[in-house]
Amino acid sequence: MQENTRKGAPRVQYIKNKRRGAAAANVIAFIVILFLAAGAVFPLWWMLRSALMANTDIFLAPPPFFPKDWLWTNFILEPRTFDFWLYLGNTLTIVVPCVVFGTITAVFCGYAFARLRFRGKQFLFALCVGSMLLPTMVTLIPLYIVWSRLGLVDTYWPLILPYLCGGGAFNIFLVRQFMLTIPKELDEVASIDGAGYFRTLVSILVPNILPAIIVVALLIFITTWNDLLQQTIYINSPHKLTMATGLTQFMGSYKNDYSGMFAATCLSFLPGVIVYLIGQRYFVEGIVMTGMKN
Amino acid sequence: MESNKKLRLHAVARREQRAAYLFLIPALLGLSLITYLPLLAAFGIGFTDLRVAHFMPNNPPPLQFVGFKNFIDIFTNPSINILNSIKVTIYFALLAVVGSIVYSMFIAVLLNRKVPGRAFFRAIFYVPHILPAASVMISWYFLLLDNGVINYIISQFGFERVKFLDNIYTVMPTLALISVWTCGNLIVIFLAGLQNVPRVYHEAAEIDGANSWQRFWRITIPCMTPIIFYNLLMSLVINLQVVVPALAITKGGPGGPGQGATRFMSYSMYQIAFINGEFGRAGAVAFVFFVVAAVFAFILFATSKRWIFYQGDEKK
Amino acid sequence: MKLRKIIAILFAAIMVFGLAACTAGSKGPVEITFSFWGSEEERASTEAVLEQYNALQDKVVVKPMYIGRDQYVEKLNTMATGGGMPDCGMIAEDSAIGMARNGLMSNIDLYEGQESKPLDCIIFKDAGNPVAYSTANEILALWYNKELFDKAGVAYPPATLDKAWSWDEFIEVSKQLTFDANGLHPGEEGFDKNNIVQYGCYVNQYTWQLEVWALSNGGRWFSEDGTSIVFDNAAVEAMQKVFDLHLVHNVAPFINGTVDAGFSLSLGTGNVAMCTEGQWATGFGGDIDYGVGVLPYMKEKANICTGGAIGMFAQTKHPTETAEFLRWYGSEDFNFGAIEAGWWMPTKLNWYTDPALLNKWIFENERRTTIGADNYKTAFVDVCLADGVVRSTGWYYTPNTTEVLYQTLQPALVEAINGSKTAAQVIGEIRAALEAALAGG
Repeated sequence: MQENTRKGAPRVQYIKNKRRGAAAANVIAFIVILFLAAGAVFPLWWMLRSALMANTDIFLAPPPFFPKDWLWTNFILEPRTFDFWLYLGNTLTIVVPCVVFGTITAVFCGYAFARLRFRGKQFLFALCVGSMLLPTMVTLIPLYIVWSRLGLVDTYWPLILPYLCGGGAFNIFLVRQFMLTIPKELDEVASIDGAGYFRTLVSILVPNILPAIIVVALLIFITTWNDLLQQTIYINSPHKLTMATGLTQFMGSYKNDYSGMFAATCLSFLPGVIVYLIGQRYFVEGIVMTGMKN
Repeated sequence: MESNKKLRLHAVARREQRAAYLFLIPALLGLSLITYLPLLAAFGIGFTDLRVAHFMPNNPPPLQFVGFKNFIDIFTNPSINILNSIKVTIYFALLAVVGSIVYSMFIAVLLNRKVPGRAFFRAIFYVPHILPAASVMISWYFLLLDNGVINYIISQFGFERVKFLDNIYTVMPTLALISVWTCGNLIVIFLAGLQNVPRVYHEAAEIDGANSWQRFWRITIPCMTPIIFYNLLMSLVINLQVVVPALAITKGGPGGPGQGATRFMSYSMYQIAFINGEFGRAGAVAFVFFVVAAVFAFILFATSKRWIFYQGDEKK
Repeated sequence: MKLRKIIAILFAAIMVFGLAACTAGSKGPVEITFSFWGSEEERASTEAVLEQYNALQDKVVVKPMYIGRDQYVEKLNTMATGGGMPDCGMIAEDSAIGMARNGLMSNIDLYEGQESKPLDCIIFKDAGNPVAYSTANEILALWYNKELFDKAGVAYPPATLDKAWSWDEFIEVSKQLTFDANGLHPGEEGFDKNNIVQYGCYVNQYTWQLEVWALSNGGRWFSEDGTSIVFDNAAVEAMQKVFDLHLVHNVAPFINGTVDAGFSLSLGTGNVAMCTEGQWATGFGGDIDYGVGVLPYMKEKANICTGGAIGMFAQTKHPTETAEFLRWYGSEDFNFGAIEAGWWMPTKLNWYTDPALLNKWIFENERRTTIGADNYKTAFVDVCLADGVVRSTGWYYTPNTTEVLYQTLQPALVEAINGSKTAAQVIGEIRAALEAALAGG
């Protein structure tokens, strides 16, 4: 009895100290984060404030940190110069199939690499990892020539079709890593029940790694949304321009409307932000599950 | 009995193998048709004089095999000077990768604590990652102008204005900093990793009297090595491909082809292929580019076994 | 089962998307595409011109294809590789001769046997043979913010060639118009060059525009036949003089010259009193009340002319219709919209000499009367007509100017503009590269 109390007191004291120390550390952490976040958010704020100003006010010296009048009307851009809805529609025409099929095929391939035994697995996996390291620029020219010989330049196919092929090695790799964290017994039970590989994947593994699948979908979304280089090269017609190419085109004209340019910039990343905010819960939880163990 | 079982196993294995290949059809198509064949093609094109004229209807010149001419040319022609491009690309990638890893790890460690508004901060640090790269560069260009706001702040403190993007010494750190700013994806992945570090290790070390600094280096970092590796790899691949800052703002300068501070390999290739229309020469650059990327990846993979700590290893 | 259905539906959806992306043009009148670049306003005026042509006849429909100036050359090259070039379009000045040499342009000489041709100095010639014609004539001038001059009580810059400022006079006036946060001018005791509130001038450093100063100082960039790099001492010294406006005299802001926005980043900000820019600045409008004068000079009064070209591309399937349209488009009677808006000057000589025509495009034109029609006439028309003052920009007779000017000279010059090297050092270092770039692949 006595011994218990004697042992207990310092322990309580220890935990109390620890909590107080942790609280102090949290306050410091919070201040540091606040400081860094202010730094990270500053360029974003500057874009927004420039979008809301009259053109001549943007360059005033000393630079004003807040707009004199908040000119929200700057965001009403003429469709002729920056057709937000057209660009949004076009970009989604590329992004949606890429995300859907890229994710599905990445799950298929990831499943094969994570669970199934077959000849040449090591070699194929090495090829897959190797392709992760290959810069897009390197294969751009031959691919461009092939697509153009096929008459598919100025269509969305060159931008979509590659995503029907496994959705990129990074994503296959990620799905594989996720699946490795699911106990193998789960799908063995299913296969004893007589389920085929496809059904095992769809009914057992997919529900278990759903957050991971959302992560992959988000990654593909962001890559295709911002793929300026390939979109610039493949898309020519003005009515087929995407958000990224439309924006650079808008910026590429002789510039005298800077607030319009900043307004267009702000508009162009709005959809991405919305998708992130919707996906962020899954996104963060999803990554927790991977463990990234080899 | 015995042989029957073997036979059945065999059949199962065959069925499994067939299923695997079916599942892998997309990846096999992708790897062969849009990755490795084009790579070989790029290499092949590098040995020809292919240029935009070959695609024109009015008496196009015959396509010629030129041997190693393009490969020699890109190193010796003073208006190309690919050696400088390799140098600046590697310099940029190293700066940006190290900066991104340190920054994102730091932010992740802070956000891993119980601070108020975590989701909000996470969003703030993540959002720059999803912005279109070209808009990011243009916006930073205005921030960094000689009469821009950052120089205004600097001048208010009595310092001389800095020509961030127009000085051979400051342009790289500046661009690397912008790249670091956009590395929100690494932060999120690190955060996930931190939450996966087993609590028991920390508690055990704490009881042994290790302070938080020691715990960070002895427990957190070793447990995180697989994730650090993944992030390093991703960051390296992304940053070796840097092209947008040069395209949007710096145009390869400051400095001519011999010293062009931002004449990145991708940018050189873009210029040669798509502005000058010299596909053969660009193919040679593409191959050199691939070799550089491969060397870096090889170094990373070769050393990875030494410093990556897998929690599963104790089972061996 | 359900999943499969979803996949099937998605597949069908993709097919529809794809088909929508691939739909071919319909039959009927011949359809030709015209590619072009320009500012928002220029774009509107070009599109209006094409519509006018489409309404005028029913055999040909010309479709506009707007491409940002930054990507214009790349896009034409990629489209050429894919076999999908437009039928005709504007051509970036720096790539005109290169495109002709690469066979991207049709061999048809638009103005062969025609009576009224564009001015000789704006015809692109490869080894003396015309390969493309500019649709506009543009020369440089000195623009100024009237309000800032009035406030400082300084007389406006001269608008006639005979009164043009010498370089030293130009610097003097610029000093009077430059002041720091305490109202001090450069050269005065305690002047703080880190806190300059208003600058006197900005001489445009966008690469090709610097050539005028070489000529002004009695030097050259390219040999007259366009086959070799000159960049003599006079040319290098002239560059240094321009850069020294910021580096030594502290009268000019620092704008690096890799971004073609000199006017809007200087005069357009409202805190730079003068800037040099082409005639097209007439069309900028905006909130600033600006006027125009003639360029200052170093040793001799010089100016350079340029203008976006138009041409027929080699892959067109309708050469006769395209040529007819281009000649129509090249005629001032029809493309007057761009002249009226201030973007272009006419390309035919009679528009500079015939009083009725001068009235039409200068004295009765709103943009030009706002700027000051009399000043406008002396600063542009009289300069164009003056003997030996206006010369062709190098790219009218030199091949590979994209490589020489934009890929080699432009990034290298930043180091001289920022003062870490002298112009002479920079040119010395890149001379071999310039020569290799001019020689091409």
